[in-house]
Amino acid sequence: MGKAIIKIIVGLVIGVGLYVGTMALDFPPVFRWLFFGYAVLGTVVFLILDAPTMKVMSGGKALVSLLVFYAILCTVFISGAALWPQYDPEDEKGKIVKILKGKPNILDPWKADEVIARTKELDLKAKELTERIKALGTVQGVAGQDAGAAAAPVAAGASGGDVLKIGEEQWQLQECYNCHKLNGEGGKKRGPELDNIGTLLSQEEIAKKILDPKSYKAEGFDAEYDKGKMPDKYKDLMDLKDVQALAAWLATFKNTSVNTPKPIKMK
Amino acid sequence: MKTWQRGLMALFALLALFGGAAYAQAPGTPPVEFPYTGNRTAVWIVAQLHILFAGFILGAPIFVVISEWLGYRKQDPRYDRLAKEVTKVTVILYSMTALTGGLFIFVLLATYPQFTTWLINHFFIVFAVIYPLLFIGETFVLYMYFYTWDAWKGNKKARHIALGVLLNLIGSITLFVIDGPTSFMNTPVKAEGVSPVEFLATASIWDKMFNYSWMPLNMHRLVGNVTFGGFVAGLIAAYMYMGSTKDEERAYYDWMGFIGNMIGVGALLFLPFMGYLLAYELCDYDASICPYMMADQLSMFFEMQGAMIGLIFLASNYYIWLSMKRIEGVEKVRMTIIAPIVMIALPLVMTKVLTDYPAPDPKSLMFLLPMLLAPAILGRFIPITVSSRTVIKIGFLMVVVGNAIWLTPHGFVPTGAKLVAELELPSDWNFLALMPAKNSAAFTLVFVTVVNYIIYNRAVTQGTIVWGKIDYASQFVLIFLAFSAIWTMGLMGAVRSLLRKYFHTYNLLPDFTAESFTPTLAYSAWYITGITVVFYAVVSFAIIVTLRASHPKEHAPEGSPVPAGAK
Repeated sequence: MGKAIIKIIVGLVIGVGLYVGTMALDFPPVFRWLFFGYAVLGTVVFLILDAPTMKVMSGGKALVSLLVFYAILCTVFISGAALWPQYDPEDEKGKIVKILKGKPNILDPWKADEVIARTKELDLKAKELTERIKALGTVQGVAGQDAGAAAAPVAAGASGGDVLKIGEEQWQLQECYNCHKLNGEGGKKRGPELDNIGTLLSQEEIAKKILDPKSYKAEGFDAEYDKGKMPDKYKDLMDLKDVQALAAWLATFKNTSVNTPKPIKMK
Repeated sequence: MKTWQRGLMALFALLALFGGAAYAQAPGTPPVEFPYTGNRTAVWIVAQLHILFAGFILGAPIFVVISEWLGYRKQDPRYDRLAKEVTKVTVILYSMTALTGGLFIFVLLATYPQFTTWLINHFFIVFAVIYPLLFIGETFVLYMYFYTWDAWKGNKKARHIALGVLLNLIGSITLFVIDGPTSFMNTPVKAEGVSPVEFLATASIWDKMFNYSWMPLNMHRLVGNVTFGGFVAGLIAAYMYMGSTKDEERAYYDWMGFIGNMIGVGALLFLPFMGYLLAYELCDYDASICPYMMADQLSMFFEMQGAMIGLIFLASNYYIWLSMKRIEGVEKVRMTIIAPIVMIALPLVMTKVLTDYPAPDPKSLMFLLPMLLAPAILGRFIPITVSSRTVIKIGFLMVVVGNAIWLTPHGFVPTGAKLVAELELPSDWNFLALMPAKNSAAFTLVFVTVVNYIIYNRAVTQGTIVWGKIDYASQFVLIFLAFSAIWTMGLMGAVRSLLRKYFHTYNLLPDFTAESFTPTLAYSAWYITGITVVFYAVVSFAIIVTLRASHPKEHAPEGSPVPAGAK
């Protein structure tokens, strides 16, 4: 018993030492507690090492102890997994819907269910329109011309801003931030920082790099280029208009204070 | 269960396979909707159960035949008994593998009919010819191996061992064959400058099979199955030890538990490196898989994996500790002081070396090899030694340190996108979260375990083992090891499958259903635990039916016949 108390005291001293030490080194509180937890684990391990021998069990007692042991294991594993930060699937669901929207399903190219639903929808619309045309009589031709003339400039005006918005959205959807830093966010040094890419490459050249990663090599990223770190998949996964939008958005980044590596043309 | 019953079960499984395939060919069949779980989780449950049974029946024969051979060579009947008892359980679980395999195909076809048909069509020769032939061949050889055990003794033993080798050969080929479509879903064939759909249209069956992750997956599963089989053998021994009433039975099952654990741990030592190889190939195939695994949606799955592996290493070393306690004369065993010094220095030195010379740079070996060999070489010249007890205790300290390094994340966030300074490691200490530190942690766990086994081996040669007198707590350690190994298999299986993201076949065939998102770790843990418990229940039942029930009980001495109804 005396040895166990000494071990607990030593464990606590180490734990407090780790907590204070990590605090002095500016570790966030969550990491301080994690290190304290390691000291607790170590203490438990050393307590178990010199624990007294367990008595032999048999019959019902052994069975009950076994079932209790399994119940403890299940509880510890389930609750242990729940203690880690949990990813929110809702964050991903919206992204997936956007990415897959309009993509062809090669397993069901005819989309039978969708076609039937759309046919019914169009039938209803056709009936509605027929009734409206009847109600409008001869005036409908003039009104239609006016509506067309008014709508055109709005669409044209919105398209520029929309393209950049789509480009920014594609940056998020394709998770480019996992490898590239932009606006001080993201990137794990897998790929170059892109804040000044608009000065170094045109929109077309950026689009070319996305579609064919081997077309340009960032200076100082020889190993990454040789290993083909940038996936050669976006030409298959992204629509051309989305690639153009992403390129157009990236081309607006012209922050010369950031040292974006110089792209070297390879193809 | 009799042979004809097992055969019938296997036949049902085959019927399920082909009947299901025929069902899926029917045009316009709408997919079913599983209540409560949803379709994806339903497939997950059945697939995982099938893989657990399959993992055991493919892994166990590997060490069964080695054990039989050892028994033959050493003329030690315990090895032969171990091999036969594990084979008895394997035969029962073989039927369960067939049954869950058939169920898996049924559920897959009912829930994802179009995709399943597509996959079967791409691997038609595999699913329709090669796999059934191998399955039938394996069934035939397994039953022959089991039922000729007693007949092929003495001079015919070599013939029986050869049959066991053939069984393993067929089993391994079966594993490699079915890994083809599985790995294809993760890393389908691709070629630079050609769209995956176009390339697939011209690809041969061999191109599809021999994809990026096929061989790493084969290696990982092969080693994993042996680990798993070893730990389940330990579980069998623990159950039987707990149920034994005689000293000689306890002595035997104590020995069996030790052997099972040794096989499990022996294979476990290679497992982190096999896993690393698989992850390396996956990242090489598509670099975006790496952040998804390690920094984003699945990063906490890997934290949990680190926790599990750490616990498994702690438990397996604790089992060695308890095993040492039953050796008479163990206190005389000593070891060079260099060994604990290397243990303590290893995480730090290895992190530094691997940071400066990242693997597979051979320069890293120039520093690390002399260090690892120092106890064996310098130990001969430096006379200072320490007791085995001290070395093992320092080893435990370093296992805790190794676990700590392995577990420390870059940030306490589920995805990199949510990282803020209050949850992130200080930049000066970020090396703790990088691969060199993680590799050094894994290697420290392996090194400590190897040193502990060396000490155990010395203790055995210098002292006397008192079999059957091990601390009763050791049986719970064996059960824990089997449970944790199965749980970790389930976790990593889920990770491998989730790496396909929102695709049935990565980058090739999107999953348009509403379930194609990454589930949370907590949700996954519930199902992994549930699947493990079901598997455990079936295995426990198989052990009780085959081994406990088959043990002849001592009969009461027969007296004179008593007429019915007599008082």
